[in-house]
Amino acid sequence: MKALAALGIDVGSSTCKIVGVDESGELIWHLLEQADPRAEDQVQRFLKAAEQKFGPLKAVPFVATGYGRKLVKDAAKNITEISCHAKGVYHELQKPGTLVDIGGQDSKVIVIGAGGRVVDFAMNDKCAAGTGRFLENTAGRLHVPLEALGKTALSADREETISSTCTVFAESEIISLVAHGVAVEPILKGLHRSLVSRIVAMIRSVGLVSPLMLSGGVARNEAMRKLLEEETGEKVHLPQYPQLMGAYGAALIGLKNG
Amino acid sequence: MIDLPSRKKVIREFQKKGGKIAAVLPIRYPRELFRAFGFLPVEVWGPPHADVTLGGSHLQSYTCDIVRNAVSFLLSGGLDRTDLILVPHTCDSLQGMGSVLLDFVHPKQKVLTLYHPRGVRKADFDFLTEELKRLCGELSDWTGGEPPPGAFWEAIYREETADRALARLYRDRELLGLSDREFYRIVRSREFLPAEDFIENEKKLARREKRSTSGVPILLSGIVPEPMDLFDEIETMGARVVADDLACGTRRLYKSGHSEDPFVRMAERLFSAPPDPTRGSPISERADHLKNLIRKSGAKGVLIYDVKFCEPELFDVPLLRKKLEAEGTPVNYVEFEMGKILSQQTLTRIEAFIEMIG
Repeated sequence: MKALAALGIDVGSSTCKIVGVDESGELIWHLLEQADPRAEDQVQRFLKAAEQKFGPLKAVPFVATGYGRKLVKDAAKNITEISCHAKGVYHELQKPGTLVDIGGQDSKVIVIGAGGRVVDFAMNDKCAAGTGRFLENTAGRLHVPLEALGKTALSADREETISSTCTVFAESEIISLVAHGVAVEPILKGLHRSLVSRIVAMIRSVGLVSPLMLSGGVARNEAMRKLLEEETGEKVHLPQYPQLMGAYGAALIGLKNG
Repeated sequence: MIDLPSRKKVIREFQKKGGKIAAVLPIRYPRELFRAFGFLPVEVWGPPHADVTLGGSHLQSYTCDIVRNAVSFLLSGGLDRTDLILVPHTCDSLQGMGSVLLDFVHPKQKVLTLYHPRGVRKADFDFLTEELKRLCGELSDWTGGEPPPGAFWEAIYREETADRALARLYRDRELLGLSDREFYRIVRSREFLPAEDFIENEKKLARREKRSTSGVPILLSGIVPEPMDLFDEIETMGARVVADDLACGTRRLYKSGHSEDPFVRMAERLFSAPPDPTRGSPISERADHLKNLIRKSGAKGVLIYDVKFCEPELFDVPLLRKKLEAEGTPVNYVEFEMGKILSQQTLTRIEAFIEMIG
């Protein structure tokens, strides 16, 4: 077993993640759970699990990120998810570029420079449209399991336009389409297109620097990747664990700062 | 550290001496004119403690919080101790507020308006001079008399002295040994303290040797830094405000006038302020002014912290950002809703920006 050199924890709005890295910065261990409203308890559980796996953590640098980062009292440092995602993705893909991170509660476009430095960023945190919650909400309404959402959308041979820019109104629009007998697949494809168009507007606001990269839970959705490629004309690069990039970046920062 | 009284206390003390209170909405107005007539102008920058549904029932949903909160504050009795309300035409929302008060709300206080020109041409200057005369006439009609002889010039000189004191505060900010929050509490006391008290306070502030300070230096732009906890948060994030382009800050650094005509002199002073979108200043002038502030202060980035739906500010942001970024200065635009606490999202944006430029 490789020795643990640093830990990073990402207390997100939908999920909580902890990542351990070795001396070389390689991701050697992780845990991922649905976010517990009692974040402090969840963090303690995670740390106990790390201790069971690697032994005492006293000398191990530990950095927190994510929406609930300030709740992690044991962390040596709190760093925003913007800096951590940039660091994590850069370290794994080894290139600067434009990172799209679609999380449960917000979405971000981050221009990454040399060394994983943030050059510019745009963030949508005001509206559920453009976030993972938008997809979750409508998937539930259409009784499609979240993990099958992308595949189902891509199986459509046509798509319905979802014109509402608000999650609540989009849901009404979907109900209306269902009532008119429209099949689920084209609705889902239109829904994904609608989400992607919002992300593309954010990419334009900071300016696209190739290559285009994707992280966050929504990166696992193949329709999002495909449509993002269609809309931007850029190949989308994915890290191995897109959901863990925030925690991974936090661990790398911990490793660097000792 | 100076022990600053609250707005309420200042109002009570001034009234005890027989003075009257003018509630004034942002941003520009002739303080000296009100003081000459025996009024203390006390500014209202969107107090967050009133039930906002009160103001909301009179205003469109896209009206900024400064106006919504002010109307709510008025309707909840927050301005009951004031004698008149001045609503300068700073933007369409404030102009709308003036109309709503006069046509629908009919508060017990006298409501006065002041129309500002949008530009700095000779015609704009003449218009403002005439507006100041009109305002003086309305004050005269309503109070039933003219200011006592000499009171006008006495007030003009006093306000000019207070503005020079404010300029000295900015010049010496690095020597004062104050946190950003303390510094801006003193700067913003100009919003309600009588000029003579502000002048005395400035004299009391000791200047020390310039110390090396830590923290990422930033320039703060926008209308008003509310809540003031913002400064504590910025400090906790490892940054410090080294210069500002705030409407309640350096955008009101008025110079002394020259004319021997009091109205022309007041207009000269109002016209002497740095560029500001609410005055229709050309974007190039604003950009040059900010570049100069950045150069002098050593700021590594500009944080534009704007109240939601602030139209004049929003018009300038894209071009201003482009011009500053072209010179290598990173800019972050953060929109906030005026409330008692700062949202986590707002803080994350600011913190990420500080990490980015740090």
